[in-house]
Amino acid sequence: MLSRTADHLYWMSRNIERAENIARFLDVANRLSLSGGNARDCWQPALTITGGTEAYQERHGQVVAVSVISWAVLDPANPSSIYSCLRIARENAHAVRSVIPTELWEIINSTWLELKNIDGHRLREQGLTGFCEWIKERSHTVRGATHSTMLRDEAFWFVRLGTFLERSDNTARLLGVRSEGVTADTRVVSASAQLHWAAVLKSVSAYKSYRALTRDDVSPAGVADMLIMNPAMPRSLHTCMDTVSTILERISPTAECTRMAGAAYARLHYGKLSELLANGLDKFVSQFILDNNALGTEIHEDFLMSS
Amino acid sequence: MAFDEMKAPDGGVSSPYRAYEKWLLSAAPDLLPRKHEQADELFRRIGITFNVYGDQDGTERLIPFDPIPRILTSKEWRRVHDGCIQRVKALNAFIHDIYHGQEILKAGIVPAEHVLGNDSYRPEMQGIDIARDVYVQIAGVDVVRTGADEFYVLEDNLRTPSGVSYMLEDRAMMMRLFPDLFALHRVRPVDHYPDLLLKALRSVAPPACDGEPCVVVLTPGYYNSAYFEHAFLAEQMGVELVEGRDLFVDDGLVWMRTTRGPKRVDVIYRRIDDDFLDPRAFRSDSTLGVAGLLSAYAKGGVTLANAIGTGVADDKSTYIHVPEMIKFYLGEEPILPNVPTWRLEREDERKYVLEHLSALVVKEVHGSGGYGMLVGPTSTKEQIETFRAKILANPGNYIAQPTLALSTCPTLVDKGIAPRHVDLRPFVLSGETTTLVPGGLTRVALKEGSLVVNSSQGGGTKDTWVLEDDEC
Repeated sequence: MLSRTADHLYWMSRNIERAENIARFLDVANRLSLSGGNARDCWQPALTITGGTEAYQERHGQVVAVSVISWAVLDPANPSSIYSCLRIARENAHAVRSVIPTELWEIINSTWLELKNIDGHRLREQGLTGFCEWIKERSHTVRGATHSTMLRDEAFWFVRLGTFLERSDNTARLLGVRSEGVTADTRVVSASAQLHWAAVLKSVSAYKSYRALTRDDVSPAGVADMLIMNPAMPRSLHTCMDTVSTILERISPTAECTRMAGAAYARLHYGKLSELLANGLDKFVSQFILDNNALGTEIHEDFLMSS
Repeated sequence: MAFDEMKAPDGGVSSPYRAYEKWLLSAAPDLLPRKHEQADELFRRIGITFNVYGDQDGTERLIPFDPIPRILTSKEWRRVHDGCIQRVKALNAFIHDIYHGQEILKAGIVPAEHVLGNDSYRPEMQGIDIARDVYVQIAGVDVVRTGADEFYVLEDNLRTPSGVSYMLEDRAMMMRLFPDLFALHRVRPVDHYPDLLLKALRSVAPPACDGEPCVVVLTPGYYNSAYFEHAFLAEQMGVELVEGRDLFVDDGLVWMRTTRGPKRVDVIYRRIDDDFLDPRAFRSDSTLGVAGLLSAYAKGGVTLANAIGTGVADDKSTYIHVPEMIKFYLGEEPILPNVPTWRLEREDERKYVLEHLSALVVKEVHGSGGYGMLVGPTSTKEQIETFRAKILANPGNYIAQPTLALSTCPTLVDKGIAPRHVDLRPFVLSGETTTLVPGGLTRVALKEGSLVVNSSQGGGTKDTWVLEDDEC
């Protein structure tokens, strides 16, 4: 496959996954604030996770719901807004429309065309919850079309690669909020912290699963265990790195990025939570994000910018 | 009065439209407008649009689609079919001759200065041999009709003719919107066009190709107005859609950059103009092309479709000579005539034209796209006098033609169904053989009375049906 094609496919799916995750974070922040949470506590995480807190402060100053929403959803100046993500995803899809299934292109294109027509007024009318559900649903549809119509060849693997690399980054960032001092033994916390960790679970649609798997109350250690180590949880770091590593093995077993992904996966698969979090969840998360970025760079060098 | 394709000489409905008319009479009155709206919605979703240049926001326009088909009998089509094939064969022979022995110039049939002084003549091509001597793998021949048996060729498009994706998508749309109509008619299929195209392209693989020929479509990129068509054709043929930056030349061969290293390319269906193909040989500021492409091409390392330098044969000064070419190279009489054309460099013809300017169309020899043109009947006295002065200053730069009454077809407009002027662009493919699918792209001037079918000036498209023999 053309290197440029692989590049477009990879960024297409990364940006759709990112848009979905932003919608997830916003949805949960919104629910928290509706149930009486302090505005800053509810909305700051959404900014931290998506990055760009500084640019936000320059533009809006205080963290208040309406500004965070307009920044994270519709602002073209924010490269990580849902608007920007879907624009970039659509541009990349456009460049490879001869490669991807027609249905896939149509879904991405029509999502973008619809989003383009949404302004602050219409967003208020629809409600943030309804909007976030719509974004998630479109992302599910994209994945469904990918799965059920794409040939299992390189194009498919690069699409999946983008999805899982982005997802692992997002899950890690999500874990990073209020992670200071959290270790594998942090079981009992304040009521507000408990609310926070429940929200974390809800944002990755894992609250019910958590309840089903553990009889315990929601605790930081329990959530970290689920979102880092659990191989059955589709958004856990374990699952993401397993998938990334398997895909890279298929694309090129001898590439440097394949070795890096395998090593990252092995650390999670054969590691123990108590050791991984020995220096605190915050240290683990920032190291994971750094390693993940390095892996992304290596993937670029190995496949996407060949000459 | 223009010829109405739906009317029979006795005032009734012409034979190809009879079943359609019956169907239409029994349909609900709002059926066509409803289907029309549906089509717009679908086209927008599929993204069959024309990009508007310079608009980064991705503003795209739909080319208006008319839901009423243009229907031709098998017999009517046969003439167009044979005429187009004959014409493209002669044009291919002409281009080969021009870049080799130049027999037609020596014979005095085409004046040498018309050819060798032409901007589209590429001296770099002189003496170069290309696969099967085919220069124009894909041609778009613009045909107009003025009567039951009167078809003329208005123009040959031999560089990078576009529009074939609309032909295919219009058919797909019609089948989706009106499946019952296809049960009532036996419409000859067009959807094998991509297969024929791929076959033609593979058949002209260069001598250096030693295995299965690798074909690619070369596009200027996704901001190009015809990007949809480039992507569509690549997808339909199952080949890579590449940009200039995906290719490089090494050791006289062309390669594309892939995730598994360089891969050889044998045939490039290029949708980039000559000028931009190779910054080393042509325009050095081109970022769309591939450095060294011409030298690889000249050495037989790769085939370009269409060849470099075909523009020399679709110029208006060459157009005049096509009927003579057909006699010269094929020894045949032209099946489809040219539109009568006066050359203003000839004194007697110039005299006639200057006396009849208000009734004629005058065009610049090298112009295209409706620029530098005088349409006598719709021009003011002042415009005509200004143009007269331009002609007198440089008569050799102009030709004149009668204002043709293009045929009309029933078309859906705001107030219902009304006749509108149409033309037809069949796409002729040349490789091992010369062939074309039945029909082509019908363009329709949606404004009442307008003769301009260009999409840039409010023209739309229609599905073109050629019926099986036994229906007429």
